[in-house]
Amino acid sequence: MKSLKQLYSFIFFSIVLAITYLFFSTAKIQQTLNENVENIFIKEAKSFAENINNNMKTTIKEDPYKELKEHPALQKKMENALSIIINDTFKYIFVLYRDSNGNYRYLLDGSKEDKARFNQRLSVDKKLWSSVYDTKVPLIINQKELDNLWITYLKPVVLNDKTVAIIAIDFSTQLPQSISNAIKPLNKIFIYIFIAIGLLIVILIYQSIRSVKIKKESITDPLTQAYNRNYLRDLLNNINITKYQIMMLDIDHFKQVNDNYGHKAGDSILAGTAKIIQNEIRDDDILIRFGGEEFLIFIKKSPIVSNLAYTIGQRIRKKIETSLFHYEDKELQITVSIGISCQPEHFKSVSLAIKYADEMLYRAKREGRNQVISNKVDDTTEFGKGELKSINDVKSALEDNRIICFFQAIYNIKSSTIIKYEALVRMREKDGSITPPIKFLESIMYTNIYNDLTKCVLESVFLQIKEKKIQISTNLNFSDILDNKIFNLIITELDAHKELSSWLIIELLEYELIEEITIIQSRLLQIKEYGVKIAIDDFGSGYSNYSIFKLLPIDILKIDGSLIKDIDTSKTSYKITQSITLLAKELGITTVAEFVHSKEVLETVKALHIDEAQGFYLAKPSADIL
Amino acid sequence: MKKTILLLLLVPLLFASDIKTEQKIYGLIIHTLLPQKTEIKVWSDSKSLQNVFRLIKGVKCVENPENADFLLLSKKKNIKTKGIKFATNIKLLEAEKESIIGGFFWQKGRPNILFLRKNLKKHNITLPESMQEYIEDEL
Repeated sequence: MKSLKQLYSFIFFSIVLAITYLFFSTAKIQQTLNENVENIFIKEAKSFAENINNNMKTTIKEDPYKELKEHPALQKKMENALSIIINDTFKYIFVLYRDSNGNYRYLLDGSKEDKARFNQRLSVDKKLWSSVYDTKVPLIINQKELDNLWITYLKPVVLNDKTVAIIAIDFSTQLPQSISNAIKPLNKIFIYIFIAIGLLIVILIYQSIRSVKIKKESITDPLTQAYNRNYLRDLLNNINITKYQIMMLDIDHFKQVNDNYGHKAGDSILAGTAKIIQNEIRDDDILIRFGGEEFLIFIKKSPIVSNLAYTIGQRIRKKIETSLFHYEDKELQITVSIGISCQPEHFKSVSLAIKYADEMLYRAKREGRNQVISNKVDDTTEFGKGELKSINDVKSALEDNRIICFFQAIYNIKSSTIIKYEALVRMREKDGSITPPIKFLESIMYTNIYNDLTKCVLESVFLQIKEKKIQISTNLNFSDILDNKIFNLIITELDAHKELSSWLIIELLEYELIEEITIIQSRLLQIKEYGVKIAIDDFGSGYSNYSIFKLLPIDILKIDGSLIKDIDTSKTSYKITQSITLLAKELGITTVAEFVHSKEVLETVKALHIDEAQGFYLAKPSADIL
Repeated sequence: MKKTILLLLLVPLLFASDIKTEQKIYGLIIHTLLPQKTEIKVWSDSKSLQNVFRLIKGVKCVENPENADFLLLSKKKNIKTKGIKFATNIKLLEAEKESIIGGFFWQKGRPNILFLRKNLKKHNITLPESMQEYIEDEL
């Protein structure tokens, strides 16, 4: 785009330059033409003057004044000879002599009109004429001060080595005017072109201003004057996200404002909130109305403050909390919740980093509103809820090989034997303590670190399969299957361990609705070609949907722990589990009961003919497979 | 109509330089010939020249030639006056060389000024050194 603009500018200036060059070239042509014509006529004038000179020399013996005064007939004859030469170009031809007072007087005048009498004085530029008289050298005078004359050619008449007169030939201005007139239309064309270009530039400037105005309007939210989603769309393609932190802000209970006071009040609150945010952020920060009552803010990172977005977020939150919003005669108070993604550069895309900030925002909402929640930047930051590990913690653990797998045995209920294990990812701290995934997976979700962790887990699982020759299941999300990078990683790992792939079970967490079901379907079938079995984890909770059996090639169904843990005491849990089990049996899907924590629970699931069981009662996760 | 207006605007501009030159020359001539007068009354038989004089400082155009201190003539006229007569062409100057003090005219595209010595004497006028070169003893 930038280079296109440069190209347009280059073309435009080239055209202007070329026309300017042509314009001045025309002036140069006119000058050259004038000079050439001038030379032709000067040559002709020289020839005429030479003839007059020769004529005078043959006619006059010594003193032209005396001889011509005494012979008027000779004077008339010579004047007639001069008058023949007179034409449109050679306007005046006359011969003057210098009297004793230094004045110049007529000897001969070839003019028919405005004819001077013999010995009449003529005012001339004495300095120039005298120089011809004294030096006996002809002279060409460019008559710049006289309106009707162009050039005067002066030739001295020298008799007996003494100048006795000067022949003067005056050129009319008609000729240069004719040349100028001939070339005028060409000059006019260039002037018109310049005017046209000038107009074009004016139109371009006007259009550019209009375009900027329209562009600004198209990217600005008219209510809040913040940028809108159009701007965000462009920004996502151009922003250098390493320089920013992302803040997502939402007005708490905004719906109530709209419901209680009307939409106009809501608009007033939105505009007021945007104004406060705008005042609290810096010029380098970018405020976008993300939609409804949600604002997205890109906070430019500071080299001094590690999580500047959190500081600014708190400032905004406090300012809004303490502000009174006036609408008509009412005073309204609101609060905001803010979620921050402080290291968006670790995410696979800016959109995912925004999604993460949104998740932080909803956590802030869930945990009571009117607060700022951010993921950790590093170990030294004091904020953040739930003591989540930072992205850097996980990155460091991966580099130090401190991401490990624990394995929990899964029993065949009938035979009471271990038939497989579930691999559960853990982080071993530097002090040797173990951190569960709930404390670090969230931080790295959607980041490239998550890819590295998935690779690490898969490699670890295949290593165990290779050593123990036992089935091991590992957990993945549906979003992992949809993610091209992770899916390719899975395929690469399966290709590398083809002979072990049939021992692998992939447990998919069914925690959200599947939108791209056809992609998931085909990808799971591609995975299954390696002999991998597909299990659905935590079925019976959250967004569980029976249509999943129709859509996906499921081998194993893991019934959610929330149903199993009280199956011995809750009739509802029992009935739901029974229903799920019956359906699975009908579909030929293996069932697994999770969270089996007591003998009673085990007996109940056994009674329901669930195939497999897993839980602390049977075996706790451990670093080694027995 | 527009063309006429444009022409009316342009014509004075085209001749502006010539008129200005003539104003300067006539201003110089009049004030040189009548240095003692603070207001010189001028009359001319040419209307266009009257316009030239109107813009010269210290000069007032009069309707009656008999009241004029300086008369600028383009044609032969029998006027009884004590004022100084000045010609606008060489032919008139030659024809009236007994009474006209001098002339300013264009010849061969060049401005020419002439003063006749005997008529200067008649009016007891002495020209400054710078204008001595324009004095002619006779025509």
